[in-house]
Amino acid sequence: MAAILRQTGAVIAMNVRSIPQRLWMSIATMVAIALVVAVLLGFLALANGFRQTLAGSGSDDVAVVLRKGSNSELNSVMVRDQIRLLGAAPGIALGADGKQIISSELFVIVDGVKRSTGSKANMPLRGLGAPGLTVRRQARIREGRMFSPGTNEIVVGAGLLREFSGFELGKTIRFGTSTWRVVGVFEAPGTVFESELWADAAVVQSLFNRGVSYQTVRVQLTGPDAMPAFLDFVARDPRLQGLEATSESGYYQAQSERSGFLIRFIGWPLGVMMAIGALAGALNTMYSSVSSRSAEIATLRIIGFSGFSAFMGTMAESLVLSALGALLGVAIVAIFFNGMSASTLGAGFTQVAFRVELGPQILLQAVIVALLIGFIGGVFPGWRAARQKPLAALSA
Amino acid sequence: MTDLDLVARNLWRKPLRTILLIISILVAFLIFTILIGFNFAYERSLDESSRANRLVVNNKINFTESLPYAYFNRIARAPGVTDATHASWFGAFYQDQRTSRFVGFAVDPESYLRVYAEQILMPEEQKQAFIRERTGVIVGRDLAEKYGWRIGDTIPISSNIFSQRDGSRAWDMKVVGIFSGARPSDSTTALYFQYAYYNETITFGRDQIGSVSLLTTGPEANDATARAIDAQFANSSAETATVDEKTFSRSFLQQAGDINFIITLVVSAAFAAILMIVGNTMVTAIRERTNEIGVLKTIGFSSPRVLRMVLGESVLLSLIGAGAGVVLGGLALKALESQAPFGALDLEPVVVAMAFAIAVLLGLLTGLIPAVSALRMSIIEALSRR
Repeated sequence: MAAILRQTGAVIAMNVRSIPQRLWMSIATMVAIALVVAVLLGFLALANGFRQTLAGSGSDDVAVVLRKGSNSELNSVMVRDQIRLLGAAPGIALGADGKQIISSELFVIVDGVKRSTGSKANMPLRGLGAPGLTVRRQARIREGRMFSPGTNEIVVGAGLLREFSGFELGKTIRFGTSTWRVVGVFEAPGTVFESELWADAAVVQSLFNRGVSYQTVRVQLTGPDAMPAFLDFVARDPRLQGLEATSESGYYQAQSERSGFLIRFIGWPLGVMMAIGALAGALNTMYSSVSSRSAEIATLRIIGFSGFSAFMGTMAESLVLSALGALLGVAIVAIFFNGMSASTLGAGFTQVAFRVELGPQILLQAVIVALLIGFIGGVFPGWRAARQKPLAALSA
Repeated sequence: MTDLDLVARNLWRKPLRTILLIISILVAFLIFTILIGFNFAYERSLDESSRANRLVVNNKINFTESLPYAYFNRIARAPGVTDATHASWFGAFYQDQRTSRFVGFAVDPESYLRVYAEQILMPEEQKQAFIRERTGVIVGRDLAEKYGWRIGDTIPISSNIFSQRDGSRAWDMKVVGIFSGARPSDSTTALYFQYAYYNETITFGRDQIGSVSLLTTGPEANDATARAIDAQFANSSAETATVDEKTFSRSFLQQAGDINFIITLVVSAAFAAILMIVGNTMVTAIRERTNEIGVLKTIGFSSPRVLRMVLGESVLLSLIGAGAGVVLGGLALKALESQAPFGALDLEPVVVAMAFAIAVLLGLLTGLIPAVSALRMSIIEALSRR
């Protein structure tokens, strides 16, 4: 047993050290595998970043109330009476002023211009009152200041500013006939709120002809454990039959689950196709490695090395090449794409800005694909190396 | 034996290597054909679904904001406008909104059927029934097939935006027509019903319309017409943004992401990988034959002839792989057709021509280094190298 291990170790070392002799072919295989890894990982990281942003947006102790069946904030409408009734629900936290923290909000869509394509895109403009900031503890003003209640002032999310033009600090914007001034930039890292514009709810109501209606309500509860009782209250109270409550984290979680399109229909099929192409390249490289070393392998066999060690030598060489390729592919994505800003249309029918994000799970998936290429690329040539007849090889 | 025979035999001297190379090339062209083919079909569908002289008027704030109904008549009378209609998004679904949402608009039947005549094809008596029947609805053929709806059926259509005054969220509508699209392969999964019925039953947003579509006297009149309309409503409670239909559809689709950019990046990566693999293998393959080339030269093959043979081999290899890739890609596009949001996914001749040109270029490029070294080699050198 120990002898087999020693033999195998020696052959592996020989194989790996001989890679430079076939430098260009080995590099070609490595680069091909690296590109497979980069393309696959690029798509996975794009989808991962989007999902992480949605998943990171909701709090466990905030409830979102919408009109039943509306499914998104844009389609929802609520009147003040319904909102007043919500105040009777259990578990609502009190603010510093002793009032319940219930944030009635408006959600309208305005046009922005996407920097990357120069085309119009849907931007969410959220009308908020003072409690709106209390229910979003992640958010803080980075530049400028908060809008003053009752004025045509607006603050812009840092993610939105990154991806879309027209909302720079100090700028005056027109939505229809109303004129607004951008007075601040806020950040709420890793959440969808960073892709929003915020203004005073009462001003949005009057300038967008919304009368006294609201679209959504967010309620700060005393803690995550108060959630079931609150949801139960909204579901059972006969006067609230037109409404529907969910936890905020659940609301965004559900949206993130609907975002798998990119990976399922583009990322993986493309990755698999490219992997097949790279596999053909890897097999070619390993076959030519075996044939260029046929005399060497034959000599080893004659002096008593096993076929198994010849097989393992080839296999190890192939795996080393694919591991180096995987490393290069990961490096390409990590250096050029990780953290890159991107945006797409989210479930709320507005743009969500997010960052391309690598994660341990998707790294593992991409590396497994690369090693699989290396493994299959090593099995068949390795088999040929192990089976080749020593004397025939030497006399050739 | 002609030179071509020699090239073909050289190609098959190591069948396994050649087959593996062909697979690599095939994959690159398969990816090329699917992605570029998809992109062409997308561009074509933009062209076909829009008429050059059809403009769309939306609220300037965003297309999800509505316009007052009164605007419709004023727009219809604007200079350069020959016909106009309006449509309001309904957020339609059938029974379960998670699985059965579809495009649904409340429209003015008579003018809508005129302005979008080429997209809504159905018998004249069904058109008349749609104009007559207040609760009538026309549904796309694909949608009707999916739910088994027939003419005369009354179906409950719900909205994720509106509710009726009696509190119910489903509208009973009578199927009076089933339409097909401009091309037999166009997907028809939309429904249209009467604005009058919609407007008198909704609880909010009455006398508002989503957008106005209009026809101009001709594409050259588009800009002036759009400017005139937008100027007419400047500083009113709802300002308008008027653009041609293609521009509107494109900016809507681009909201999903920069499709062209992603396709370019992926196709380049695929070709870069294949170029590396095939190029290096060709170099090795020719180097193995250095002795042979020496023999060929000794028996009187001129250097340019040897060069042509080596290049011929790499171009042939590239063309075989590319041909197979394009054929497979064409089949894959056909298979994906039912999933695509827009019409037929045919393999356009221009895509095939592009693939052919790239294949020849790839062949020349991968054959270049070994061919030049074969050309430069002196007979003595070639024969003595082992």
